[in-house]
Amino acid sequence: MRSLLAIVPALLGGGPADAASLSAHDLQVLGRALAFAQPAPSGTQTLAIAYDSGNPASRGDAEALARLIGNGLRAGAAVLQPRLVDTASLAAGGFAVVLAAEGAAGEPVQAATRREKVLCVTADFAAVQAGSCVMAIRSEPRVEILVNHAAAAAAGIEFAAAFRMMIREI
Amino acid sequence: MMTPNPGFPVRLALAAGVLAVAAGGRAAAQSIDYGALEQLFGEPVTLSVTGKPQRATDAPANIDIITQDDIRRSGATDIPGVLQFVTGLDVRRSGLAGADVGMRGYNQADNPRLMVLVDGRQVYMVDYGRIPWATLPVQLTEIRQIEVIRGPNSALYGFNAVGGVINIITCDPLHEPVTVASADGGTQNYAAGSAVATGRIGETAGLRLSLGGFRASDFPPGPLAEADALSRRNPYTGTLNADGRWQITPGIEAFLTAGAGDTRVPQISPAGAYDTESLHTNAVRVGLNAESGIGLLSLSAYRNEALVSVFADTASPGPMPVLAPSDFHERQIITVLQASDLVKLGTDHTVRIAVELRQNADNSALLSGSASNLIYAASLMWDWQMRPDLSVTNALRLDYVQLDYHGTPLPGAPFTRAQFDATTLSEPSFNSGVVWKATGQDTLRLTAARGVQLPTLMEQALQVPFGQVGPAAFYGRPNLNPSVIWNVELDYDRALPALDSTLRTAVFGQRIDDIIAWPFGGALSIGPGGIPSFTSENAGYSTAAGLEVGIKGHAESGWRWNASYSLATTTDHTVLNQGSPVTSVVEYAHSAPRNVVIAGIGYSRGRWEADLLARWQSSYLDFRMAPGFAGLQLVPVTVQNYVTANGRIAYRVMDNVTLALTLQQFNQARIAETAGPLIERRLILNATVRF
Repeated sequence: MRSLLAIVPALLGGGPADAASLSAHDLQVLGRALAFAQPAPSGTQTLAIAYDSGNPASRGDAEALARLIGNGLRAGAAVLQPRLVDTASLAAGGFAVVLAAEGAAGEPVQAATRREKVLCVTADFAAVQAGSCVMAIRSEPRVEILVNHAAAAAAGIEFAAAFRMMIREI
Repeated sequence: MMTPNPGFPVRLALAAGVLAVAAGGRAAAQSIDYGALEQLFGEPVTLSVTGKPQRATDAPANIDIITQDDIRRSGATDIPGVLQFVTGLDVRRSGLAGADVGMRGYNQADNPRLMVLVDGRQVYMVDYGRIPWATLPVQLTEIRQIEVIRGPNSALYGFNAVGGVINIITCDPLHEPVTVASADGGTQNYAAGSAVATGRIGETAGLRLSLGGFRASDFPPGPLAEADALSRRNPYTGTLNADGRWQITPGIEAFLTAGAGDTRVPQISPAGAYDTESLHTNAVRVGLNAESGIGLLSLSAYRNEALVSVFADTASPGPMPVLAPSDFHERQIITVLQASDLVKLGTDHTVRIAVELRQNADNSALLSGSASNLIYAASLMWDWQMRPDLSVTNALRLDYVQLDYHGTPLPGAPFTRAQFDATTLSEPSFNSGVVWKATGQDTLRLTAARGVQLPTLMEQALQVPFGQVGPAAFYGRPNLNPSVIWNVELDYDRALPALDSTLRTAVFGQRIDDIIAWPFGGALSIGPGGIPSFTSENAGYSTAAGLEVGIKGHAESGWRWNASYSLATTTDHTVLNQGSPVTSVVEYAHSAPRNVVIAGIGYSRGRWEADLLARWQSSYLDFRMAPGFAGLQLVPVTVQNYVTANGRIAYRVMDNVTLALTLQQFNQARIAETAGPLIERRLILNATVRF
């Protein structure tokens, strides 16, 4: 019975099956956090939503994230327009921030973001602890931001000092 | 006469400026933006506890943050009116505008145990360390938040920060422009107005100008003796303030604030008499904040000046009715230079190093000349995030104080000028705190502190001859020990998402060693010629213990609520007021209510906003001067327990225009809140226009 109840919202187009790894509130927090990057992004930029093409769940998460973001994510003075990018295609560059979808925060993302000197963000705290991605975010039950200091340094990412004092760094 | 050394601030400021410019080349980011950080983390942000930006729930101290919404909904017309409904605070009004604020069981007329700051500038009177609440150069509509930190915080702020700290933060003209006009009218012939305007030059400079004031007929003198009653005049205030910020580069910000005020407030004096004090104040603060490769550098200098005149009736009958001559004048100057560096070391450690140079100077007939304190201080704060759920913070400060007296000790005075000038003090203070976030909803906080309350200039150097304020002479004592305040506290906070609320609890213990008794009511001795004289003294110690339990919440439906209970039991072990007559207002064991209950409920819907706030407090003992015995004898008055309740209803007439009606103390026409005038019900109509 419990399983059946879980399927119903999925069929209606909502619930866990369609839930993105980051909620709308998480993305709002992401936009605000990006304003503390040094230098902060400005103008209209591309937000690459990286996914693992061999992982349907990863692709689904990326699409869900893109739907949540819609036309763009406001980040201080910048508007980040989402574009789905297969992790294997990240090498082409052309983005200001990489948002790693479920299962995507691995070596290709790490290599691409370090090479392009751009920030990698994910909902996967373990990936940040492993150094595959620089920043992890969640907003519930309270806003938590984790930054891998070494990974940030490797990608040439800096944050405002006040911001660094208020987040958790490893 | 007073000779503050004008050279030393300039030299230090020049040295600091060179450091700032040198650091500026490595600057990389903007300075602290309260609004952006608050939006990011979804809760108020503070620098007040450690000097480091922190979420209120992460700070290693018991802190409440009163937001602009809270201020507006309170319907208060001044800051003590806002604080009256904050847990752990004791607000006593000596009239419509005069007020004293204390924390956790300790309060008295002209309470010297509180530190109040407006945008980082400490506002206090150097004579007795008291707070001129009516003179604060800030309009309620330009405040972004008021931070209330309970317990000593001397390791960050120095003396006075022993009972607690109240930090008033205004809206940053660069990041949070506010333009608003407000007009009030009400009973007691109350008329008030304020205007706040912010302008920006591009994205890098902002200037906020504010002015405001009020006039009113004060409450009737009620039980006051004739001399006291005749010494009261109707209050008024007028203040003007400017706050400018300039982002020189993305990482360097300069600021300049300047203000002036003119106030007249009937009040209670340290001797327990009632009079009317006029203050002409001006202040200026300049500084630089820079984000550099060696951390967040902050350099600032400020100067507060207050010209004081006191009116006390001299014509009424009685053997010695005069507190001070009606032409009494005083000039007080505070000059402060501060420099600090706040830096995060690695991923887990944040360190703040700070130095401060301060001169408190007072030129007064009551000093028979002038006196000043030169204070050198250095402090270190170290915050260690030991684990994701556990942080430890330690702060240490050293103060070195040198008394400088320029005057002529009175004939028969117990101290010579050489003794004054030989006075120095060295005192350490510390704050330590452990914050453990046991779960996502539970936070435990354990803190310990040693705070230091330095003797004030009047306590050290007062010179009042026989007959000037009463049938005795009064003297300060230069070799007073500072009061030392020990405090331990355990807090437990729990988020209650099912109730959209947060539960906060605290238990604390405190001990004050070397309580300082003012010269009025201090140690009695018989001098040459049989003249009785009173001298300020270290009078013993006091202990306090207490608890606070409170819940606060709000729902998306528009409802909000709060309720709290606080208990503070205080015991004195002093040589004061032994038998009859009673001579000292320092009677901590009885001079603040032991039990306080505060409750509030509010609702917003569409264009309407309605709030009710109520406070009940148990009885306490207050004092007023016995007629004709200024400085010699006080009349103890038991202030009975009472309930006071305020109601406010507001309607947004247009998107930017709000009309509000506030009924203060609607439950009773008159309440005896002190031994002085009865506090009357007030009706206030307010119109606010936001641009």
